Amino acid sequence: MTAQYRLGIDAGGTFTDFVIADRKAGSIKLFKALSTPSNPTKAIENGLALIAEHLGRPAEEIVANCDLCINGTTVGLNALITHRGGKTGLICTAGHEDSLEIRNGHKEDGYRYDPEYPAATMLVPRYLRKGVRERVLADGSIRTAMNDDDVRDACRLFLKEGVETVAISFVWSVLNTKHEKRAAEIVREMMPDAILTVGSELYPQIREYTRSSTAVANAYLAPVMRKYVGAVDQYFQKLGARQPVRYFQSNGGLAIGQVMTDRSVYAINSGPASAPQAGLYVCAPFKKKNVITVDMGGTSFDITLTKDGQTNLNKNIDFLRYRIGVPMIQVETLGAGGGSIGWIDSLGLLQVGPQSAGADPGPACYGQGGVEPTTSDANLVLGYLNPEGLLGGKLPLSLEKAKAALKRIADPLGISAEQAAYGMFTIVNNNMVNGIRRVSVERGYDPRDFVLVGAGGATAAHITALAREMGIDTIVLPKLASGLCAFGQTISDVKYNYMATAPVRLDNDPAYKRIDTLFKEVERKGIQHLEKDGFTKKTIGVKRSLDMRYVGQVHECTVDIGTFDINAKSIAKVKEAFHKRHEELYTYSERHNAVEVVNIESTLYGYIDKPRLPKLAKGASIAKALKGHRKAIFDAKGKGARTPVYDGGSLGAGATIKGPAIIEEVTTTIVIEPGWTARLDASGSYVITNKRKTGGR
Amino acid sequence: MKPNRKSKVDPITLSVVRGVLETTQREMTLTLEKTARSSVFNLAHDYSTALFNAKPEMILQGQDIPIHLGSLIPAMKAVARYFGDDIHDGDLILHNDPAFGGSHAIDTCMYKPVFYKGKLAYWTVCKGHLTDIGGPVPAGYNPNAKEIYAECLRIPPVKIWDKGKPRNDVLNMIFTNMRARRDQEGDFNALIGACQVGERNLLAMVDKYGAATVDTCIDELLNMADRHMRSLIKSVPDGTYSGTAILEDAGHGLGDFEITATVKIKGDACHIAIKSPPQVPYFINSYEGNSHSGVYLGLMMFAALPPPYNEGLYRCVSIDFGPKGTLCNAAEPAPHMNCTTTPMETLTDAVRLAFEKAMPSKVAASWGHANGLNIAGRDERSGEEFVTMVLATIISGGGATPQQDGWHAVGPECCFGALTSGDVELLEYSYPIIIHRYSLMTDSGGAGKYRGGSGTAWEVEPLYKDMLCIGFGEGRRIPAMGAAGAKSKLIDTKVGRVELKRKGKTDVERKNILQTIQPGETITNMNPGGGGYGNPHERPVDKVVWDVKNGLVSIKGAREDYGVVIKDAKSLSVDQDATNTLRGGAQ
Repeated sequence: MTAQYRLGIDAGGTFTDFVIADRKAGSIKLFKALSTPSNPTKAIENGLALIAEHLGRPAEEIVANCDLCINGTTVGLNALITHRGGKTGLICTAGHEDSLEIRNGHKEDGYRYDPEYPAATMLVPRYLRKGVRERVLADGSIRTAMNDDDVRDACRLFLKEGVETVAISFVWSVLNTKHEKRAAEIVREMMPDAILTVGSELYPQIREYTRSSTAVANAYLAPVMRKYVGAVDQYFQKLGARQPVRYFQSNGGLAIGQVMTDRSVYAINSGPASAPQAGLYVCAPFKKKNVITVDMGGTSFDITLTKDGQTNLNKNIDFLRYRIGVPMIQVETLGAGGGSIGWIDSLGLLQVGPQSAGADPGPACYGQGGVEPTTSDANLVLGYLNPEGLLGGKLPLSLEKAKAALKRIADPLGISAEQAAYGMFTIVNNNMVNGIRRVSVERGYDPRDFVLVGAGGATAAHITALAREMGIDTIVLPKLASGLCAFGQTISDVKYNYMATAPVRLDNDPAYKRIDTLFKEVERKGIQHLEKDGFTKKTIGVKRSLDMRYVGQVHECTVDIGTFDINAKSIAKVKEAFHKRHEELYTYSERHNAVEVVNIESTLYGYIDKPRLPKLAKGASIAKALKGHRKAIFDAKGKGARTPVYDGGSLGAGATIKGPAIIEEVTTTIVIEPGWTARLDASGSYVITNKRKTGGR
Repeated sequence: MKPNRKSKVDPITLSVVRGVLETTQREMTLTLEKTARSSVFNLAHDYSTALFNAKPEMILQGQDIPIHLGSLIPAMKAVARYFGDDIHDGDLILHNDPAFGGSHAIDTCMYKPVFYKGKLAYWTVCKGHLTDIGGPVPAGYNPNAKEIYAECLRIPPVKIWDKGKPRNDVLNMIFTNMRARRDQEGDFNALIGACQVGERNLLAMVDKYGAATVDTCIDELLNMADRHMRSLIKSVPDGTYSGTAILEDAGHGLGDFEITATVKIKGDACHIAIKSPPQVPYFINSYEGNSHSGVYLGLMMFAALPPPYNEGLYRCVSIDFGPKGTLCNAAEPAPHMNCTTTPMETLTDAVRLAFEKAMPSKVAASWGHANGLNIAGRDERSGEEFVTMVLATIISGGGATPQQDGWHAVGPECCFGALTSGDVELLEYSYPIIIHRYSLMTDSGGAGKYRGGSGTAWEVEPLYKDMLCIGFGEGRRIPAMGAAGAKSKLIDTKVGRVELKRKGKTDVERKNILQTIQPGETITNMNPGGGGYGNPHERPVDKVVWDVKNGLVSIKGAREDYGVVIKDAKSLSVDQDATNTLRGGAQ
């Protein structure tokens, strides 16, 4: 029997979103409960109570009727931000204890002359980074055998110091795992209670600093994730869940609890990583596979890009100032949200963000004591938000307080509050446009070839302005926008990354053979792993990629290739894929030059069937949905224009609304600027288009 | 600071234009970094990109590596002057001559005039450190050069594109005089690509907002920077302040030199006069273009301004580099290749010290000076020759600030954290070496209430056969200058040096070396730590103990440098009485 429901739970900093897909009713419903960071299962309990009330059946019955319960969590992220991970020790090659702290000798751009910008907090202090005499060379041979006593000494120190989680990472362990394996044996024997992370198992790729740093971040987060996953697993078991809970990873896929503990570092930026899945899904009815998603919440603005169904990934990047190797969905995050504060900088220029009024005190218009002007205040003064309040009046807004806050920047600039509001709106939009360029133009893509998908509660007020600035002519804005990430998790597949390193020049048969063998080895492991989890040949998929470069280059670029045997004949295809990607990224290729591979990676998918999007019925005429008019400002002069306001809930499939207009949904307000037309599609999304060619740069 | 209400500029458009300029610069930078071959480009970030208006005034400098700070300003002006009204749409100008506004000749600049509606409107400019620039020694650094003619190919302003048509004859002549032609062509393409990306973005901006509006905004951005710097200068009491720093003899045998900076503050204007000895027949002379960067870095250590940087910042600053023919105002034919580190860092220190005297509690300490190693030999694995500057070898410690300890491993001073060094595995993969050690060094950070950052040690052994090691640098006797009364007692551990381990014997060298080592022998290149800030006896005891626990300060260092007596090496318990006595009761 197919289960009736699928449950998605996305725990954010302030709210936890719940999505329940009901196969029988053909509906997808969104609920929100306050997050409870100190006791995460509490928020889940509260949310389930809301769902139970809505469906009129007890939580146990609902959970037992779910094919899958899926959870995205920020506990790992929060632990990394607040530096509250486990007490960690590092065992490494003697002489290389400090690569974590040397950080390639770099200080972040923009802070070079700032005397107060602090050094990154070390996840492992220097005295807990213990060097071991051992050495493997660049060809994988052993130059110095490992000194077991050094490992034992390290363990004794760790035991004395109360270390609960240990990372092992040796130079060149990716080419010869013998020493790391032996060290792991000793640690397991001497510290049976400690959690262990082995660099060459977690992230078998060349680059010692990246591997050690990734292993340390993993070790640091492991105790936190283990505790969290333990509590959630147990909670759902008690409720009678059919399957183990699936957790959402920052690579955009699902994993079981054990994997989240062993590979905690995969959890760190999972929140926004489901946006691309959701974006593709809501665009599927329109056959669009080039999608940029933008998600504006209270404090931040997250951007992702998917080209031809493939989402941009990041590898080997600094995340929260820590070098992380494992692939993550590329999420460009800016400090631009509804709570972002407008201020005047030391030069006298108006700026917006990254400081935010957060949830407390929140925007001035919330009337909770905030006095600084925020984006939400600007949107209220511009007439975009309903002065009677948000969430159907549950959250009242004060226009007066918003205006008073805006005066704080308007007066020194010598402009009106309305002009200042439009100024903040313009500047925050431009910040977002510059962010979108980072995922598009900088990755070799023209944003005008993409559909813009809006997610998050605050995005819809900005979406037509953003598209106008980018020169994008099609927007898809789902009614589910404010819970789109939670929804995205419920339609994601299980996904594991398997990697190996193979630094070889592509000019000889043994090199081809080696790459071929490595791919097959890691995939055999991955398939076994997924089969144990109940997937079959039919529901398992493999995608391959290679990190390649021209001999002499320093940076690699990742190239997707098919799953064919790699040999003297097929290698031409591989090289061609590389030349082409190099051209896309950097405008040129060097076909006459030697090419080398550095790392290989296989992504293993366990495909899961997807709940369907609901079908909206045709509605009455749009006049029925017209709530009234209010003055809204669409230009820098700050003059308002009488603008119709529609109730989104009363619109049916096919409804077409010409801008300027405002559509109010319960959890979001959509601003349609002049020149744009919104049509509500039967799949539950507004398709907003502009026939005129807009600008963009 | 209050915005100027008299300004006619719409404040919103102003913020937007500023954002577009920054994005433009960022995309130029990215183009350079990702496509260049030279690792000095793409790892060391030894390049900069800039936008100029038609005058030409610098309206934005990107990638704020101090070596290039402001040095494109005199270069751009010299180039524009040279061609006068012979500048046309589609021209592309190449230039590197230090005696004509450039910095050091291996930093090669590309200038693209941007025309809007038939009129010269802007310039997009970039500059990058190539892997070679001709001359007798690979990579340009020739310690035996007595004249600039023995160092490199000098390129005066020359058009490599004329009205959109590449001048292949000129390019061919240039490449013919450089090593590794393929790499040089690649790096030239990267420079050209960056200029074109900049041009495309600027034109789109002007199309959108109109030339007049954009120019008004740019003028206002320059004015704002001017007002900002003036307000900072105004906060300094009127007077004359002078700082002298010593440039050590790096092995040339000409002795130590003194560089003095005299800073005169009057109201919101600042005049900086430099005094340096006559130029020398060794590659440490600095022409005026490079000396600009040295002075501006010293100024920036006082001003501590966040980006963006434009020429408006320097309007209230006038500089006298001293008579032509001196170390900091070199004249042809002085050899100069080492100038971006030596004497630039000493020049910066002199300016920094003058400002510290003016504002004693505001100015941070000096950073460790660059002590680098180039390696060369034959790679048995491929049969190919190799030569490279190892960036990982020049990572020194950052200076402590009035607010916090100096960063570890973030120098040298002339790079100020802009550099990134390569991974140990990538280095061992690319070169036939084994890196035994890459670590922070005990007692290397300058003592102070806030400790200077630790320097680094990099120990290397050739894997198969002999390897030539070429060491360069400075700061091997005198440690990085502390601030606000910081002073160290243990000096030897805080300065740059090279350790040579051979047949069980260790030799320490404190000069520029040229040594061949064999498998089984190692060279350790050690970089100085940063200077401390404030009286080391005021550093809290628990912080000193924590540093000892982490091996950043030794027990001896705790006692000598900080006056903290640790009585038990295991528990690190402190002898309070002895500590109080040593610290003179100043706990």
